[in-house]
Amino acid sequence: MRATVRDSIAVFSPQGFLDGNNSESLLTIEDIKATSNLKVDMVLVSLKKVIFFNRNGLDAFVKMFAKVRASNNVTVGFCDYEKKKFDAIIKFYENNLHFSLFKSLEVASLFASSFKNQNKSVLLFSEDRSQRAAMAIELHDNGHNPIIAQSQSEFKQKSDTENAYDIIVTDTYLGQMGQKVATRVTGNAIIYTVSSFLDTNIANTFNIAYHTNSLNVGFRLFIFDAYKVVSMNIHALNFFSKLASSAAEYNATICFAGLTFEKTPIAFKETLEDAGIMFFDQMDDILKNKDLLNELGASSAAASKNKRALNKVIVTELPRFIDATVLTIEMMTNSKAAKEAAKINNITINDKENKIASSIGFYGDIDGMVILVFPKEIAKKACELLIGEQTDDIEQILDSLAELVNIVGGRVKTLLLDQDIQVDITLPRTYPSVDSLLEIAQDKKGVQVDLSFDNDKFLFFLTR
Amino acid sequence: MCATNSNKSSKQAVIAKDKIDNYIDKIPPSSSILKETLMLLNMGELTKAAKVAEGDLALKSYLKGIVNKPLYGFKKEVSDISQIFGILGVAASEQTVYNYMISLLSPDKWKLFHLNASSFNELQARLSRRWKEILEHLQIKDKDIESSIALLPASIIVAEALFCEKIEDVKLLRSVKEIDLNTILSRLCGIDLFDICEQIAIKWEMPTKIAQIVQASSGVKPSEDETNNTLAKWMHLLLFYELSQAMFVEAGLNDFIDFQIDYVYDIYDDFTQVMDIT
Repeated sequence: MRATVRDSIAVFSPQGFLDGNNSESLLTIEDIKATSNLKVDMVLVSLKKVIFFNRNGLDAFVKMFAKVRASNNVTVGFCDYEKKKFDAIIKFYENNLHFSLFKSLEVASLFASSFKNQNKSVLLFSEDRSQRAAMAIELHDNGHNPIIAQSQSEFKQKSDTENAYDIIVTDTYLGQMGQKVATRVTGNAIIYTVSSFLDTNIANTFNIAYHTNSLNVGFRLFIFDAYKVVSMNIHALNFFSKLASSAAEYNATICFAGLTFEKTPIAFKETLEDAGIMFFDQMDDILKNKDLLNELGASSAAASKNKRALNKVIVTELPRFIDATVLTIEMMTNSKAAKEAAKINNITINDKENKIASSIGFYGDIDGMVILVFPKEIAKKACELLIGEQTDDIEQILDSLAELVNIVGGRVKTLLLDQDIQVDITLPRTYPSVDSLLEIAQDKKGVQVDLSFDNDKFLFFLTR
Repeated sequence: MCATNSNKSSKQAVIAKDKIDNYIDKIPPSSSILKETLMLLNMGELTKAAKVAEGDLALKSYLKGIVNKPLYGFKKEVSDISQIFGILGVAASEQTVYNYMISLLSPDKWKLFHLNASSFNELQARLSRRWKEILEHLQIKDKDIESSIALLPASIIVAEALFCEKIEDVKLLRSVKEIDLNTILSRLCGIDLFDICEQIAIKWEMPTKIAQIVQASSGVKPSEDETNNTLAKWMHLLLFYELSQAMFVEAGLNDFIDFQIDYVYDIYDDFTQVMDIT
C-alpha cells in the first residue's frame, strides 16, 4: 500500500478490518522505504474506512511511524476517526503514545507547516492540560488563532455557538508530548494513584526511576491516592517503608490519602508513620490547605543527594536541548532569541528580582536536569497564550510555566529519540523565586547558557 | 446487458462492449454434465444430481477439495458426491457447482491480481461459507440468494481478463494516483464490478432481485427494496471482511472496490457476532 500525497501530507488509507494477520501485508518494507523517501510534513494513516482494528492491526503502522519520524523528523499519526476509535487507540498505547492523533485530515492540516498563515479561528479542547497547551502553541505558530476551552462544560458552551469558529479541535493528541506517569498539582506535589491489592507487585509497577528523578528535580511532596486500595500486605509495607527512607534523604514527604485499614492491619499504619509517611482521610485535606501544602512541598537545601558531573554525551547533545528550548519559547512569546554566553560553572543569577524558574528531569540512556530561569514578564506572555488572557496570578503563571517546560521536555525527548537516545521525562517543577531554586540547585555544576529574548534576559542551565 | 449499462459503456470506454460480452458469454456452463447436474439440483434431486456429477472427475475432485477444507470442520474426509451434496444441501450444492464452473474460467496465470487456483478457490469457499452463516442468522432460505455470492468471484475473473487487455494503462493509473480498481474498471470499460455481477446474474437466469442485491452491495447504488438492501449491506461487509484477509490483501483485492463504511454501520454489531469477531 502506498500513501497519497496532497498538500505535503502523505496519507495511507487502509480499508476494512485491521488485525495482526493482515497489517504486515498492507504495509511492506518497500512501502515503508517509499514513505521515507517522500518530502512531506506529515505521514498519516486514515482510519476513515477501517471498521475494525485491534492493537496488533495498528502496530505495523506504528512501527512505520517510528522509522519515518527517525529518518525524516516529520509528524506521524492516525487521523479520521470517531470518539470510540480515539479512545481505543489511547487505551492501546497509554504510556507509549509517541505518535499523533488528529480527528480529521482537516484538523491535521492545521498543524502542518505548509498550511501556515491561514488565520483560522480554532476552538480547541483536550482533557489533558499539557495537550491543550501544546496544541495552542502549534496552532499559534502556524498562524491560527486558537481559543482554548479549559473544561468540558466550557467547550460544550462554546462549541454550541453557531459559526463562531472555523474549526473545532477535539479528540486530538500531539504525540511529541512527554509521557504522563503521574499527575502534577499546584503546589509542586506529585500524585500517584494506586488501587486494589498492594503486594509484592508494587515494586514492579511503581516507576522507581521516575520517582528518583522527580526527587532529583526537586519535588518534595508525593501523595498516594489510595481511595481504591482494598488492602496491603507485608511486601508492600516494606516497599513503602523503603520509599519513605529514601525520600527522607531528600527531606521529601510521602502521604497517603483515602487509605482505609479495614482489611489492612492497623499496625502497618504505625510502621509507616514511624518511617515518616503521613495519612490523610481526604485528598482535599492536603490540597485545599495551602499552608500545609507549602510546608510539605517546600524544598530544602539539605536535600540534594548526589552531585554528579556532566558527561560527554550530555554536552554533545546540548545544542538539541537549547534548540528545543529556544524554539518553544520563541513560539510562546513571539519573540526572537539571541545567545549571549555559555559557560560551565555553578548556576549564576545576577539579577534575582522578578524572576521565576522551572526544572525538568530526564532519565534513561542519559540523565540530567534542565533548569530555566525566566523574567516574570516572559512567563506572563507565555501564560497569556496558554490561558487566553492576561493575568498577574502567580499560581496561574507558574502553572503555565510548568506546561511550557513540559513541552520543552517533550521536544527534547523527541529530538533525542531521533538520535536513538531514549529518555523519559519527569514532570516539571516550578519555583516562585530564584531563592527557592537555589536551595535545590546552587551546588550543582552544569552548562549555563544566557539567552536574550528581545530585551529580556533568560537563563538555561543543564546539569545532572 | 441491461439498458443502463449499455448507456454507461458508450463513448469513452477503452475496451469495447463486444469484448466484455465475449468474456461474460464464457461464464455459463458448457458441458452437458454440468448443465444436467445444475438442472437436477434446481429440482431438488440431490441423489440424481450426485450420480450425474460422478461423471465429471474434475467436478468431483473440486467438490471434495471444497468440502474438506478446514473451514467446514469435518473430522474425516468426505469423498462421496451424494454425501457431499447431502451435507451442503440443495442451495449450497448448486452454489458450489457454480463456483466450480467459475473456477474453470479462471486464468492459468493471473496478471493483475496475485491469485492462483488455490487462493481463488479459497476465496470462493470462504465467501460461500460465511454467506450461508449470514443467511441462517437472517433466517433466509432462498437458493437464489444463497447462490448470489458466487457472482462476486465470477466477476473478479472477468475483471482480471478485462484489466489484462490494458494492463500497462491500469498499472500506470495506479502508480500516478491512488485510485481504486473498480473506478479504473469503470473508466476503461464503462461498467464496474457490480455491473459485471448483474450481467452474469442475467446470463444465469437468476431472478431480478439477485441483480438488485449485488448492485446494491456496491454500497453506492442502494436498492429501494428494504430486504434486498439489508442483504446487500451484509454482502458488502462480508466482502470486506474476506478481502481484509492477508492472502487477499496481498492479492491486491482489498483495494479493488471502495469500502462504504457508513452504508454498513447499522449491521456492524450483528455482523461481528455472526462472524465471532472480538
